[in-house]
Amino acid sequence: MRQVWVVLRREYIERVKTKGFIIATIAMPVLMIGLIGLSAFLSIQAERSERDLALVDLTGQLGETVAAGLEAVGYDVELVDSDVGLQEMDRRVTEDEIEAYVVLDDLTIQEGTFAYRGNEAPGRVRAALFENVVVETVLELRLSFAGNTAGLRELLAGGRLSFESLGEEQSEMERVSGIATGFAGAFLLYFTMLFYGAYVLRSVLDEKRNRVVEVVVSSISPWRLMLGKILGVGSMGLTQVGIWVGCAALIGLLGIPMIAANWPAVDVGELSQLMPGAGSLGLLLVFFLLGYFLYSSLFAAVGAMCSTEEEAQQAQFPVMMLLIIPFILQMTSIEGSGLPWMDWAALFPFFSPIMMYPRAVVGAVPWWMVATSMVLMAAALIGTAWVAGRIYRVGILMQGKRPTLRELVRWIKQA
Amino acid sequence: MTEHAVQLSGVTKRFGEHTAVADFDLQIPRGTILGLLGPNGSGKTTTIRMIMAILLPDRGTVELLGGSPDFARRNRVGYLPEERGVYEKMKVLEQLVFLGELRGMTRQIVRRRAMEWLERLGLEEWANKKVQQLSKGMQQKVQFIGTVLHDPDLLILDEPFSGLDPINQDVLESIVREQQDKGTTILFSTHLMDQAERLCERVCLISRSRKVLDGNLKELKRRERTGTIAIEFEGDDTWLARLGITNPQRVDDAYHIEAGRGVEPDRLLAVAVAERVMLRRFELLEPSLHEIFVRHAGQPDPEPALGVAGGVQ
Ligand SMILES: Nc1ncnc2c1ncn2[C@@H]1O[C@H](COP(=O)(O)OP(=O)(O)OP(=O)(O)O)[C@@H](O)[C@H]1O
Ligand SMILES: [Mg+2]
Repeated sequence: MRQVWVVLRREYIERVKTKGFIIATIAMPVLMIGLIGLSAFLSIQAERSERDLALVDLTGQLGETVAAGLEAVGYDVELVDSDVGLQEMDRRVTEDEIEAYVVLDDLTIQEGTFAYRGNEAPGRVRAALFENVVVETVLELRLSFAGNTAGLRELLAGGRLSFESLGEEQSEMERVSGIATGFAGAFLLYFTMLFYGAYVLRSVLDEKRNRVVEVVVSSISPWRLMLGKILGVGSMGLTQVGIWVGCAALIGLLGIPMIAANWPAVDVGELSQLMPGAGSLGLLLVFFLLGYFLYSSLFAAVGAMCSTEEEAQQAQFPVMMLLIIPFILQMTSIEGSGLPWMDWAALFPFFSPIMMYPRAVVGAVPWWMVATSMVLMAAALIGTAWVAGRIYRVGILMQGKRPTLRELVRWIKQA
Repeated sequence: MTEHAVQLSGVTKRFGEHTAVADFDLQIPRGTILGLLGPNGSGKTTTIRMIMAILLPDRGTVELLGGSPDFARRNRVGYLPEERGVYEKMKVLEQLVFLGELRGMTRQIVRRRAMEWLERLGLEEWANKKVQQLSKGMQQKVQFIGTVLHDPDLLILDEPFSGLDPINQDVLESIVREQQDKGTTILFSTHLMDQAERLCERVCLISRSRKVLDGNLKELKRRERTGTIAIEFEGDDTWLARLGITNPQRVDDAYHIEAGRGVEPDRLLAVAVAERVMLRRFELLEPSLHEIFVRHAGQPDPEPALGVAGGVQ
């Protein structure tokens, strides 16, 4: 066991020391947050900079409501008297007194069209907001002729299904949170298994290529070497994901009060419900560990079979497929569930991390299925590790061309 | 403890159609230095890899330090593979510490020993540099340190001298000698006959996958004598002519008289004394290892291993 520890520590330290790790772990999240913040800041700035806008209402029925509506979404609009005349308004625009103005006329009441006159076309956000406000106002006006405005509005909005749970109480927010957590978790599981698996493959291949392995396996059994390697890369992965999750939690903890302070309209209670709970994080850890060991032993076996980078690129394809297929299936059922047969596909151990985790978090499958998938994964892990260990043991000392399938079987059977 | 550090019997290894090592027997008594010689592709590396259990023989048995080559036994071997391998991204000292710890040494002890060795091989300033910053020869020295770090009972070195400059070759040679003085058994393969001649107590010559010669170097040389006599003397060589030796071969000041001229050494000596020749040298010539190598390895179809195992005359 001491030997496993020695290998593990080497693998861990050598990896954590690299620039790549530091960049990926610390710089990336910081950069991402920075970028998101910056772009949000810039777009707000851009929208706020020139805001001298005017509104001409030729109908005499919409002006005030529209102006108030625009004000509510942040636009200071001067409601101009309709006597001023459009020529005068055009002059104001060309002489840069105002940026643009909006004209509401009869057509607006009939079909919701209206003119936005300026030198530059409005940005997408602005156009959408304006349209929204105008249409709302017009609808309101026209519905008021028909009576029972509220009911008609609901109907126009397309009706609404309301879920009435017969099981445990699950609020809408909890459901959304589950979907988000499941989605993010599936994503995280996919990428970590892919990347950390590739690290294991690379590590095995390098050791084999530069022949250090010949010296190393004269002291330590290949099985322990493989175990140490997988544990080492896994610890590195846990460190990395731990830092990320920690960062995210910190942002959540600091960010929610900040939002509460700056945007009183946002319901903070609801927002905090969106944060994943400890239960789903614990479940993520279990699925990560099982999935990572499952896949990294496969990747280790692939690394041991190959002698060159190119060979490895090809040989890892089937393993990648095992990862990509559930990922694609999962993407088609973001809401956590999907077609019924997918729930059963999620029981397949190699698919379970990506497909069962989101289902478990959303509560789309009964708990016994989640438990079964874990048991199946553990069983698959034992089998896979056994086979991979045998391939690894023979493979790392073989030079030359990649083994055929029949040779592989012989390696596995070899005492 | 058995008396043999390595014992191979009837070992055969095939790669597809090609037989790399055929029916190979070898015993290395503890405490000796054995040189494994042979042309390129004759099966030296394959043999060594089988001793280290990196390859498994198709037939025959391998015994290492008195038993099957398990991890406990292989851990008492220092092995320098033919293809040099190092963790290029690691620092020199860390790499050595890793190897030492793998073999069960504590961190402090490996550290101290590794530093001592690095100093000895003139690498102390490189201890905290990455291995990839070192030249190839320097990397090889680091790797060599890795093989002796844990005071092994047996050193197996596959072409340890290749790629080293003459000074480092001498350093390595003296280290090998020193290890032997401590009782370590040493098996090394080489293409440098001078080195082998100087270092080896025993040699084993492989050619075309088969053992051709094996035995104590001195005895081997004696056995490989061709009967040529080298003599040097003052004065003219007319007395040789009277013995019926015409046109003797001259090598520097010496006359080389091959066997088969019908002159026995004792008769030649008796005549020389009787003729009052001023002899300066009279020697039954022994072939150099180089000559032995060429003679046996160069044969188009070498006979299967001559029965000289153990160095019997
Ligand atoms: N992994 C392998 N696969 C196929 N053939 C091999 C393999 N390893 C060695 N051989 C063959 O076995 C023979 C013996 O090779 P080996 O490496 O033992 O020679 P060697 O005596 O060490 O030669 P050199 O002096 O060049 O190092 C060669 O003909 C080689 O082609
Ligand atoms: Mg060789």
